[in-house]
Amino acid sequence: MLRLLFIFLSTFLLWALTAQLNHALAPWRLYVFVGALAVTLPALTFSLRAGLLASFLGGLVFDATAPIPFGTHALLFALVHAVVFNFRDRVPRDDTLSRVIIALFANLGLFLVFSFTQVARSPAPASLWPRLFADLACSQVLLALIAPWFLAVQARALALVDHEQKRYA
Amino acid sequence: MPKRFDQARPFLTLGLVVAAWFFVPTVVKTFTRASFFELTAPVGVAVSYARDLQEYWSLRLRSNDELVQAGRDVARLIASYDIAVQQNVEMQGEIARLEGLLRLPSYTGYRSEHARVVRRDFSGWWQRLTIRKGKNFDLAVGSPVVFSGGVVGRVSEVFAYTATVDLISSQTVRLAAVVEGDIRPISYQGGLNPTFGSAGGIIEFVPLDIFASANSTKRLVTSGLGGVFPPGLTIGSVIKVEPSNDGLFKSGEVKLDDRLAALIEVTVLIPLSPN
Repeated sequence: MLRLLFIFLSTFLLWALTAQLNHALAPWRLYVFVGALAVTLPALTFSLRAGLLASFLGGLVFDATAPIPFGTHALLFALVHAVVFNFRDRVPRDDTLSRVIIALFANLGLFLVFSFTQVARSPAPASLWPRLFADLACSQVLLALIAPWFLAVQARALALVDHEQKRYA
Repeated sequence: MPKRFDQARPFLTLGLVVAAWFFVPTVVKTFTRASFFELTAPVGVAVSYARDLQEYWSLRLRSNDELVQAGRDVARLIASYDIAVQQNVEMQGEIARLEGLLRLPSYTGYRSEHARVVRRDFSGWWQRLTIRKGKNFDLAVGSPVVFSGGVVGRVSEVFAYTATVDLISSQTVRLAAVVEGDIRPISYQGGLNPTFGSAGGIIEFVPLDIFASANSTKRLVTSGLGGVFPPGLTIGSVIKVEPSNDGLFKSGEVKLDDRLAALIEVTVLIPLSPN
């Protein structure tokens, strides 16, 4: 339960920081999305049920402030969790670099799937894609920069309540 | 347990989660969403107050000479606004007399509520603002939001002490507009938000005799149709019109005010009549 709480709080921190960054970037019409970071560590280290719940709850935080059907982010986060969980035994997952690469691919998938769900509402979908690709590029760069720090924060927080500290290190 | 089933287990569990989520009653989802929003709201509001405090202390660093000069400028502005208010009162009286004579329905009255911007959320998917007033100031969903440059958008959700505004550049905003000096309505929809560029929107059903280009723009204003926005508020500048596929109308592009992307305060117009 405490592990879930820590993961939820770290997702909340991630949401708050990116919200402030997006507020500052708004005059340049840039936007960053790094939601996959909230899913990566639970998907790589948690049991299926606990990880799915953590990812789903994290998605609800992103859903709360978005003008989309409630649960869209949560279900997409759960989907990414299921995919990463499925192949986690076949990839190296104990070092930070591997985790960052997994987070980058997960974020790429999340961003594209989410864009496809939203692009139909645009009056000019073709003109929307250049903007989305610019946002995606910024998001991936930011994710690569902050992922080591964020994953370390999560790992340290989890190590406080879990005796199997090696699992998160 | 067979290996194949073990591999499919995450997706079976996901399928169960998805199915369960679709069966959750709407009222529970609405309550959960409001709860999660109220959980996130204090973060933005606290940062917004911190930003105001930062601005206050940076203003305190200004010299007395600058303050005297600013005070003088403000006094001049107030004087000119006083004259405008007097003229406005006289014009409103004239409108009321004409409405009485011609038996016309009167315009909806509005109460102005100024609000600070807590958070800008300008993605390619949507364009929204969160403002620092909500149910505690009787804001209503659908109320128009304006600033000195014209229309900002409309209130889409109202929470306990914050509200969200769908920006006019968002693809979710669609309204009836007219080109200044014309009375034929045009359909406007936001949705053009290029990186590093000006936000814009699309206009459709433009009459064939209206011409505009980047060098010879036309001002697009609200039509007053639909009853949400008062007539005559600036939406943006029409920078391009070209015949649409059906040949009956034209369609085109509108450039919005660049200041929309850096707003720190807006005004919500709350209809005085609940209808």
